[in-house]
Amino acid sequence: MSEIIKTRNLMKIYGEQKSVDHLNITVNQGEIYGFLGRNGAGKTTTIRMLLGLIKPTFGQVEIFGENLFNNQKSILRRIGSIVEVPGFYENLTARENLLINAKILGVHKKNTIEEALEIVDLHNETKKLVGKYSLGMKQRLGIARALLHNPELLILDEPTNGLDPIGIKEIRSLILSLAKDRNITIFVSSHILSEIEQLATHMGIIHEGRLLEEIAFDKLRERNRNYLEFQVSDDNKAIMLLESQFGISDYEVHAEGNIRVYSHLGKQGRLNKAFVENGIEVLKINISEEGLEDYFTKLVGGGAIG
Amino acid sequence: MQLASLLFTELLKLKRSSMFLLSIAGAAVAPLVVVVATYVNEPSTPFKELFYNVNLYTVLIIGAPLYGVVTTYLFNREYVENTIKNILTIPVSRVSFIMSKTLLLFMWIMMLTMIAWFLTLFLGLLTQFDGLDISLLVESFKEFSIGGVLLFILSTPIILVTLVMKNYVPTIIFTVVITLINVMGGSSEHRALFPWAAAGDIANHTLPSTYPPEYSYTAIIVTALTGFIALIVYFKKADIH
Repeated sequence: MSEIIKTRNLMKIYGEQKSVDHLNITVNQGEIYGFLGRNGAGKTTTIRMLLGLIKPTFGQVEIFGENLFNNQKSILRRIGSIVEVPGFYENLTARENLLINAKILGVHKKNTIEEALEIVDLHNETKKLVGKYSLGMKQRLGIARALLHNPELLILDEPTNGLDPIGIKEIRSLILSLAKDRNITIFVSSHILSEIEQLATHMGIIHEGRLLEEIAFDKLRERNRNYLEFQVSDDNKAIMLLESQFGISDYEVHAEGNIRVYSHLGKQGRLNKAFVENGIEVLKINISEEGLEDYFTKLVGGGAIG
Repeated sequence: MQLASLLFTELLKLKRSSMFLLSIAGAAVAPLVVVVATYVNEPSTPFKELFYNVNLYTVLIIGAPLYGVVTTYLFNREYVENTIKNILTIPVSRVSFIMSKTLLLFMWIMMLTMIAWFLTLFLGLLTQFDGLDISLLVESFKEFSIGGVLLFILSTPIILVTLVMKNYVPTIIFTVVITLINVMGGSSEHRALFPWAAAGDIANHTLPSTYPPEYSYTAIIVTALTGFIALIVYFKKADIH
């Protein structure tokens, strides 16, 4: 599988602040790579560097196996992108806005603009000025514009930002179908965990400019194990019981008497019975899977995302 | 080839633009005020004076702020409407981007200059001023054109201010200061050293004899070239946020 994006020790420093700090990411062909991070983590700065809009303070960007800054023009011709909210000339229609890109790109094929508008379901809105479009329509038009020249790579910066739930669902379906039907490699950033979880095949987590982890979702699901969670009146006594009577060593103790047991799945009845027989009050039993949120919280050292 | 395509897209961007009509209204101010005021106060004034006064006011008073607003609109709207990131990632070379906009600015300034000339002619004929002949038409057209070209050449520092500040206000202040110096230095014998005032004098053949004409031409060329080089260097290196 060939590498589409590869960054090496990418850095961007503003004053004394490292917006992006020694970032090494690899995106392979055919992946939907979710670039996850809190607001201000360095996602947009990274995307701007991937598109040559800002120059790195240090480090290299390779796209399609070539150095971006030596071959910027030929590389960018193979990429479609949206950086933050897509901007349009609001006094023009959707068709006229796309005509600007088509003209500059030298796309002369008939119906290219109509086809792009059809993909994003805006083909019936061609007489309306873009200034009167909703944010969701503008996002879809941004994707149509990015697709105009049949790119091999799509770079989308928070494409669902500010959309209502229906708009989010539409954009998500669109991205998934583009990856599946057109075999486009997609690099999509978001600060919403569930969004990346539902969309991406691979994920990179950025926090305070640094890449904390890069992982395929398949592997992440293998790693995120199921567990039994007991809330008990006396966690010390409960742990001793688990160790001595059941030989359990794979457990974690959390706040308020919560104990997570990663083995003996399906044997919660026996464990519960043992607790009660030994005078330990069981307040709650859960059978849970460690979700992406738990994983992320552990990784960034606590605190909610967003 | 890309420059031609870019110029086409620049023209397309002006479709339904209110700025286009506003700029025409701005260019019509000098002919309207000069012809009407002359008709009311001194109806016996020769036609030549009408052309001279309109060109004087256009180049020295109205030109800098009016063309400054047009310049800011052309360059700043890409930042305001957040379209610059799209254009530069299509990709368009940054120099071509600047050149296409500068070319459109030239066409726009010349169009406004021609509108001012034509309106002077039309209103002067309507109010029946004397002294119009072919040689006056040719000469006045030439003078208006020179004024327009010189103001266009001197727009490079204004473009630089727009690109650096990304806002209308600094450009308006800058052009108002230029106009103020033009007005305050109107009677000064050293005015030929101030590029924008020199442009007015060159267009109207009224350069004072204090300095050789080469000094004025040099002041204009140095200002324009410095502005042009600075804006290209700046824009080629600027981070786009």
